Amino acid sequence: MFRKFDENENISSTNQIKSSVQRQIRAAVIEQMPEIESYLQEIWPKKENAKIIKCHDHIEILTVGNQTLFFKQRDSPWYPTLRLLHKYPFILPRQQVDRGAIKFVLSGANIMCPGLTSPGAKLNNDIGNNSVVAVHAEGKQTALAIGLMKLSPEDILKVNKGIGIETIHYLNDGLWHLKVSR
Amino acid sequence: MSTEEGDIAPEKPKQDEDEIKPEEMKPVSYPVKVLYCPECTLPLEYCEFMPEATLQRCRVWRDNNQYLLEQEGFDLEALNLEDTPGDKKRQKRGGRGNVKSKQKKEPDIVRIARIPRGKRKFVTRVTGLATFDINLKKASKQFSQKFSCGSSVSGDDEIIIQGDVTDDLIDLISETWNQIDEDHIEDLGEVKR
Ligand SMILES: [Zn+2]
Repeated sequence: MFRKFDENENISSTNQIKSSVQRQIRAAVIEQMPEIESYLQEIWPKKENAKIIKCHDHIEILTVGNQTLFFKQRDSPWYPTLRLLHKYPFILPRQQVDRGAIKFVLSGANIMCPGLTSPGAKLNNDIGNNSVVAVHAEGKQTALAIGLMKLSPEDILKVNKGIGIETIHYLNDGLWHLKVSR
Repeated sequence: MSTEEGDIAPEKPKQDEDEIKPEEMKPVSYPVKVLYCPECTLPLEYCEFMPEATLQRCRVWRDNNQYLLEQEGFDLEALNLEDTPGDKKRQKRGGRGNVKSKQKKEPDIVRIARIPRGKRKFVTRVTGLATFDINLKKASKQFSQKFSCGSSVSGDDEIIIQGDVTDDLIDLISETWNQIDEDHIEDLGEVKR
């Protein structure tokens, strides 16, 4: 989604959001990531003004202060940014790829099933198809991507080829480098 | 790793017992403080996956900030930045796997440009060497020795050589590095800064 993202070219507008809309987004975020609820006030204080950066391809990025917090595309769920996920790693369920997959993920590739089923990987069987996941890597503490499950864990094991997780946002992509002014 | 006391951490996602590392057993409070590399911007543990040109800067930063890293409890050994790219443990796979650094870089073309400096002088700019995994510092030193002139690494993947040495440079590059032949070198001619 942000592989070729360039803040000078892909941003259409930045707008403050009305408090009624803020409330809706808060509720949507909590519904989607229940673990975030007790920290949301600290992450996104009520009196702080939130802004939405509208980008090409119907991408919207929610920022508070100079931080990017969440983003979505069309009617997707709100995804947390990696910077937020690193601070509160428990807000998303995790899948782990093997070490060999890291460089591919860092160049924006989707996550192929073999990278999730090899000995270095850890496939969490409780996460269903279409779930948003934190993509971790063998031997690393911090997540390297945020992804969307494209197959159920059973199918990933059974089929063991093709895309298992779609890479939505990864370390070093355009969103990672996006600088927001207050 | 902890910053503020008092918050009760929610339970971590379920994990197999044998997978929990000692670091993760430490009581965690949130927000977790992650140290990012000021050079490549990634968490320090991912520097090792950066392209050579960026990784060189990561290494320099680390060498200069060892004290800070030790203070933050980083195991410098584990950060795995040794100079040998041929890591035996690393899995080999086909396909595209080149991590692009943030700076836009056309892969696999070395571009040489002549840039006017003042009325009658030129400097020669070389970009793209790092896409061939060439150590820029060494290359720059080599240029200055060969051409007896000043040469410096001036950007992520840019070397500036004093004087117009375009023709000699094309020969030198293709002779020095086997992986680059003349088809990979583009002479942009005279370019404004
Ligand atoms: Zn680095």
